[in-house]
Amino acid sequence: METTIILIQIVVGAALINNFVLHYFVGICPFLGVSRRLDTAFGMGCAVTFVISIAAFLSWTFTYFILRPEAPLPTWVWATLGGDPSVHVDLSVLSYIMYIFVIASSVQFVEMYVRKFFPPLYKSFGVFLPLITTNCAILFACLEIMKHLQDPTRLWGLPEAMALAMGGGIGFTLAMVLMAGIREELDLCDVPRPLRGAGIALIVAGIMAMAFMGFAGVDKGLETTLSSMLH
Amino acid sequence: MITLTSVTIILAAVILVVLAVVVAYILGWANRAFHVEVDPAVAKINEALPGANCGGCGYVGCLEYAEAVAASRAATTLCAPGGNACSQKLADILGIEAEQTEKQLAVVHCSATLDERLGLSAYDGEKTCAAANLVAGVQDCAYGCLGYGDCASACPYSAISIEKGLASVDRDKCLGCKKCITACPRGVISMVPFGAERTLAVICGNRDFGADVKSVCLTGCIGCKACAKLSEAIEMNGNLPVIDYDRLIPQGDLETVAAKCPMNALAVIGTPLNRPSFSGGATRDKRSRESVQVS
Repeated sequence: METTIILIQIVVGAALINNFVLHYFVGICPFLGVSRRLDTAFGMGCAVTFVISIAAFLSWTFTYFILRPEAPLPTWVWATLGGDPSVHVDLSVLSYIMYIFVIASSVQFVEMYVRKFFPPLYKSFGVFLPLITTNCAILFACLEIMKHLQDPTRLWGLPEAMALAMGGGIGFTLAMVLMAGIREELDLCDVPRPLRGAGIALIVAGIMAMAFMGFAGVDKGLETTLSSMLH
Repeated sequence: MITLTSVTIILAAVILVVLAVVVAYILGWANRAFHVEVDPAVAKINEALPGANCGGCGYVGCLEYAEAVAASRAATTLCAPGGNACSQKLADILGIEAEQTEKQLAVVHCSATLDERLGLSAYDGEKTCAAANLVAGVQDCAYGCLGYGDCASACPYSAISIEKGLASVDRDKCLGCKKCITACPRGVISMVPFGAERTLAVICGNRDFGADVKSVCLTGCIGCKACAKLSEAIEMNGNLPVIDYDRLIPQGDLETVAAKCPMNALAVIGTPLNRPSFSGGATRDKRSRESVQVS
């Protein structure tokens, strides 16, 4: 019960309240670059959700067993070599290089897999899949997961990490689709000449971010509603 | 002596090396396991195509046409810009006999410049043929060129220009992609086979009777049948001569047939172009003389 509430809270939190794009401003590049048409924006959102889930799974595994303080692998190595058990080997310096490595290789793998087994999907993703390698929203999700594995007393399990990734991916897709819808309508509007293109897109993004600020505080209400529903 | 620093460094290096090897192995395996057979002919065919992506073949781009050709779903002759040479190359790649097609170029079936059209109204609307065509009585001839240049803007090779309100095709630039045919709301343009360097074409599209044509145009075909009597390749159909290009002998005396036309609605076109840019006060007699001389 308790874990379900926490998972729902994480998903809603990552998708709406702390939307990756509109709250943390990560993944702005595809948000502005691929949001001209609704269908491509949705495709990009789905691709990111897919890759972010895989990357979150891998990065949680690596972080939990290798990178976090008091992780099993370095502790075991240290103990085997006869080190002082009160001191811990901390490999969290490796986190960035590991995450980049994991993201890049999983994107490669996913690309090959999709190309072989889902050719139409590969055709529609085509350009976007390799672009996701450099999507900072995914690295952000990995780092967010790492943050929750720093404190050994309150560790995130795999379900929490996956919930964050899914929520983040859904939030990213939502922001992309909303932005694409607005920009498709914007094409028909009489935008002042100096603001056309990127200018008006940035203004729209800012207003959308302000609108998403309205979700702040939803988590408290959600928590009370869910717990009253479950008990 | 084992220190924390040395263990951290060595452990980090070992972990990264192991990870790199494992990932390299997985990706290498995936590359082979998920290998997609790509027909090597597709790349070759795509290279042999002009790469204009004009869409004249009916496929979205050159690559899609290349895929269709490689899968034997499309004929090798569909590429108009590439012409016979391209068709030959494609056939060589596929190892089949090349079919020869006659080059087809766009011809505007109207020869009336603005001062030769009658009943022009003061049209002040959107300057496109598609819009002007919706206006009844924008000009009296319902078959002729409107001259707002929808075809010229549709042409990817800038082969069409508007001279004196009449679309004229530069057949050195035209590659036969047929974009102008779809762009013209009146169907004034069509493709004419250019087996030889020059050919005969009817440069009027008016299907009305002679008297009606004379009331709307100074140079329209009046359906006098003079050309049909002279040449076996020409038959009359709905007050207009229709040229059977299979029977037309390109080396024949096309000029005599063209000169026979009292309205200059029949012309020898091709290189050299028969239609010189006649300036201001060119008379009809002068025009017909020029057309014979040049061609």
